[in-house]
Amino acid sequence: MTRKKILGSHVKRLLSGVSDHGRKHLTEVETDLVQTGLLLEEAIEKLSRNFMAIHAAVGARQGIIDLLLAGGQPTAEQSAALVAMQAEVGGYVNAAITSMQFQDMTSQLIARTLKRVTGLREFLGTLGSHGASMLPESDNEEIVDLLGKVSMALAIQSLELRSVLRKAVSQQHLESGDIELF
Amino acid sequence: MAKTILAVDDSSSLRQMVAFSLKAAGYQVVEAVDGQDGLEKAKLQTVDLVLTDQNMPRMDGLQLIALLRELPGYQKVPILMLTTESSDEMKGKGRAAGANGWLVKPFDPQRLIEVVKKVIG
Repeated sequence: MTRKKILGSHVKRLLSGVSDHGRKHLTEVETDLVQTGLLLEEAIEKLSRNFMAIHAAVGARQGIIDLLLAGGQPTAEQSAALVAMQAEVGGYVNAAITSMQFQDMTSQLIARTLKRVTGLREFLGTLGSHGASMLPESDNEEIVDLLGKVSMALAIQSLELRSVLRKAVSQQHLESGDIELF
Repeated sequence: MAKTILAVDDSSSLRQMVAFSLKAAGYQVVEAVDGQDGLEKAKLQTVDLVLTDQNMPRMDGLQLIALLRELPGYQKVPILMLTTESSDEMKGKGRAAGANGWLVKPFDPQRLIEVVKKVIG
């Protein structure tokens, strides 16, 4: 292979490596952000709904509470409604607790995204620092050597980055997860 | 006497919700912020059940389980994982480490209590 072709092949390898690396990571960032958005949206909707329901459940008994405070005697139906309130409100609280766990999931997704962004910045930094040592007067051999080094450094960084980015959150909804007893 | 559950999770809000749910059902709860803290708390007192997250700083749930199983008094104590992880591969690792069950987050308090009651009464 001529020197020109060798140089061309190194440049091509470097450019396609940077492109693949960048695209893969940005696609994952996009996926994690979309997932975070879905979880947040669902959490806010469910939390709002359950807090409103708690308010409505308490409000619906206000008349009976006022009656009791005034020393009145509630009917059997009113007494039953008061007794049922604990279970009713408990159901809404449980649903709210399930929804509030969005924080645990979204913080893991955000932490993963931050690691990825930091890794990408370091990756681009490596590219820049190797590029800075390439001089306009460098001959083809020096450039090929440098391109080989930068490709290798980037490949290692890429592997290191992937190793710390295992996805631990696949949930798309805030619904109670599976339970398995061994 | 109320049974004691060691709840291990690096998310403070998650710990609060787990503790709230378990206490409401009459259990005593000891909280730990990660696997290392969980191991230290477990050495101070033998609990009736351990409920642990998987991904935590310093020591993860699988490491915690393996070390707990080596502690005197912890060979038979039920250990449940409560984690966002849901892959069969991770469940297999949990089982191999000595976990007795796997609960995928988010948890529903009522279902959590049902499982805990089933395991320790």
